[in-house]
Amino acid sequence: MDLGDIGAAVRIAFTYFTILYLTGLGGLFSERSGIVNIGLEGLMVVGTVTGAAGVAVFAGPAPEGMGLGAGGVVLGLLFGALCGALFASVHAVATINFRVDHIVSGVVINLVAIGLARFLSYIFFEQATQSDPGGPHLGRVDIPLLSDIPGGLGNAFRNLSPVFLFAVFLVVPVTFALYRTRWGLRLRSAGENPEATRSLGVAVAPLRWQGVLLSGALAGLSGAFLSVEVVGNWREGQTLGLGFIALAALILSNWDPRRLMFAAFLFGFAQAIPLRLDDAPIISALPPQFINMIPYVVTIVAIAGFVAKVRPPAAAGRAYEGAGGG
Amino acid sequence: MAAGTASIGAPRPRPPWLESAIGQGLALIAAFAIAIAVGSLIVVLYGESPLTVYGAMLRFAFKDVTSVGTILSIATPLIFAALAVSVCFKGGLFNIGVEGQFLVGMVTASWAALYLDFLPGLLHLIAVLLFACLGGMIYAAVPGILKVKTGAHEVVTTIMMNGIAVSVVAYALNGPLKFTKAPPGQNVDLRTDIFEPSALVPDLGHLFGVEPSAHLSWLFPIAIVAAVVVWVLFRRMRLGYEARAIGSSAGSARAGGISIGVVQIKLFLISGALAGLIGMQQVLGERGALVQNYEAQLGFTGIAVAFLGQNNPIGIVFAAILWAVLSRGETALQIDTDVPREFVIILQGILIFCVVVVYQVARRRLARLQLQRAGAEVGLRDTAAPEDEGRKDD
Repeated sequence: MDLGDIGAAVRIAFTYFTILYLTGLGGLFSERSGIVNIGLEGLMVVGTVTGAAGVAVFAGPAPEGMGLGAGGVVLGLLFGALCGALFASVHAVATINFRVDHIVSGVVINLVAIGLARFLSYIFFEQATQSDPGGPHLGRVDIPLLSDIPGGLGNAFRNLSPVFLFAVFLVVPVTFALYRTRWGLRLRSAGENPEATRSLGVAVAPLRWQGVLLSGALAGLSGAFLSVEVVGNWREGQTLGLGFIALAALILSNWDPRRLMFAAFLFGFAQAIPLRLDDAPIISALPPQFINMIPYVVTIVAIAGFVAKVRPPAAAGRAYEGAGGG
Repeated sequence: MAAGTASIGAPRPRPPWLESAIGQGLALIAAFAIAIAVGSLIVVLYGESPLTVYGAMLRFAFKDVTSVGTILSIATPLIFAALAVSVCFKGGLFNIGVEGQFLVGMVTASWAALYLDFLPGLLHLIAVLLFACLGGMIYAAVPGILKVKTGAHEVVTTIMMNGIAVSVVAYALNGPLKFTKAPPGQNVDLRTDIFEPSALVPDLGHLFGVEPSAHLSWLFPIAIVAAVVVWVLFRRMRLGYEARAIGSSAGSARAGGISIGVVQIKLFLISGALAGLIGMQQVLGERGALVQNYEAQLGFTGIAVAFLGQNNPIGIVFAAILWAVLSRGETALQIDTDVPREFVIILQGILIFCVVVVYQVARRRLARLQLQRAGAEVGLRDTAAPEDEGRKDD
C-alpha cells in the first residue's frame, strides 16, 4: 500500500459520497417533513434503470437515440430523478393520504421496486436484468490545485464526475432552503409538530408531499448517477443496500445537511476499503470475505454508537390525522 | 335516554372477533379485486385478454398433481420466512434481517450435516434442523440486543447484517465447508460435500403420486406445524399477549409492567429460529448440499407474504401458497402469451400494495365503528359525535 492507493481510495469514497449524499438528502427532506422513508433503496433502484434508459434515449447514438451528447446525459439523469419522484408518490399516497405505517409502506416500495425495475428493463432494453454496457456519460473533470498534490494523493481529485461537484455544492442551497426560507421552516415544523403547523393555517399534507417527492427525485438521481456515471450500464442489484447506508448516514448526521456530508464521506470511505485498501496493515490479514464485511460493520457500529446522541424529527413516522385535507 | 332504549331493542351485536374477521375478509376481497383489475389493464396494454392470461396461469399451475406438489414445495420456505417476519412484526419490530438469518442458518445446518454424521438416523436430521434454528437465532440476537441496549433501529442493523451474511456464506464455502471429495477429473462448482442421506428431509410427494422432481418434502407439514405453533404462541401464551401489547402501544405495555426489552429479544430469537429453517427446503430437500448459486431473496419475499397474510399464521400459509401459484404461473406466461414473465412480479407488487392500503383503511373504519358503538352503549353518543365531525377534515 502506498499514498497512491490512499488517493485512489479517496476517489472511490468521493463516488460513494455522491450516491450516499444525494440519497441521504432525499431522506432528509422526507423525514424533516414527518414521513419516514425507508424506501430510499427502492427509489434508487428505479433511478438506476430509468436513468440508464433516459441516457440511452437522449444521448445514445443516432438511429435509436437522439445523440444529444452531454446535454442528453443530463436529461437522462433528470429522467431518472423524475421517475424516482413518480415512484415516491406511491409512498406519499400510502402514508399521507391513506396513513399506512411509514415503515410498512417503505418496505413495500423496496419490494415492488425490484419487480418494477425488471419490468421496466424488459420494456426499455428487452432484457430483464441489465442494459448494454458502455453507455454515454459526462466528461470527467480534474479539480484545479488539489489534483496537483504530489505523491499520488492528487489522484483523489482527478477524473471525477461533474455530478460529484453538484452534490458537494448542493449543501449550500439545501441548507439555505431548509433554515433560511419560509418554506423550510414550514417543512421542518410539519415534521416536528404538525398540529401546531395546522393551527397556524399552514396545510401539512402538501408540505409532506413535497418532502416525499423531493426524496424520490434525489434518490432517483442518485440511482441514475450510479448506473450511468459510475457503472456505465444498469444491472439488477447494483444498489447493494446503499439506500439503507444512506439512511444510516442520515441518522448519524442528526438530520442536518451539513453534517450529512461528513457521514456520507465516512460511509463512502468504508465502501472503498475492500476495493482499494485490502492490502493495508491489519486488513490484509483478514480473509477477503471478511474485508467485504467492513462497510456493513462500520455502519452498524456507527449507528449503535451514535443513535442515543441524535434526535429524529419529533413527528416523523406518526400519521397526522388531519393530513388529507389540512 | 335514547341510548338506553336503543340497546335493549337492538339485536345482539356480533362478537368483535367475528366483526374483525368479516372486516378483514372484505378488505382482502377488495384488495384482490383492485389488484386483478390493475393487472388486467397491463395485460390489455400488451394486446392480450386478461381472461386468457389469468386462465393460462391457473391452468398451468393446477395441470396435474406434480404441479400442485411443486407449488407446495415453493410455498414451504415462504411460510417459514413469513412466519419469521410476522413474529417480530406482532411486537412492533421490523425484522428485515430474515434474509441474513436464513443464510447463516444454511451455513450452521450444513456444518451439522457434514460433521455430526455420527448421529444415528433421524437424530442426525433433527440435529441439522436444530443447528439451522440455532444459526438463525444467534444471528437474529445481534440486532435484537443492539436494539434493546443502544436503540439502534432494527431496520438499519438487520439490513447491514444481511450484507454481512452473504460474505459469511462465501467464507464458509471457500474455507471451512468447501468440498473435499470432488469426483476426480471433473470441474465442480463451489459447494460443500454432498450430505449423508440421514441428514436429508425425506420425500413426501411420492405418497400422493407427486413426481420426485417437485421436491415436496416433509418440510411442508413441518411448516404447517410451525404456523400452528406461532398461532398458539400468540393467542394462548403470555409472551404472545405481551408482544401484542407492545405492538399496539409500547407506552401502555410498559405501564402494564411488561419488560419491553426482554420480550423484544425473545421475539427476535423466535423469528431467527424460524428464519433458520427457510433454507432447509433447498439444502436438505432439493440439493443435498450447500451450493454457491443458492436461491437468495427468500427472506424478502417472506415480508411480502407476511403482509399478504396480514401477519396471521393461518393467513400466511394461504398467502404463501397463493404466492407460489403466481410464481409457478410465470412459466405459463412465457409459453402461452405475449405478456413478459415479469408481469407476475408486478402483479405481486400491486397485490401487496392494495392489501396494505385497503387493510389500513378497513382497520380505521372498523375502529371508528367500534368506538361509536361503545360510545352509544355507555350513553355517550353526544361525545362520540365531535370525534366524527373532526374527521370531516379528511
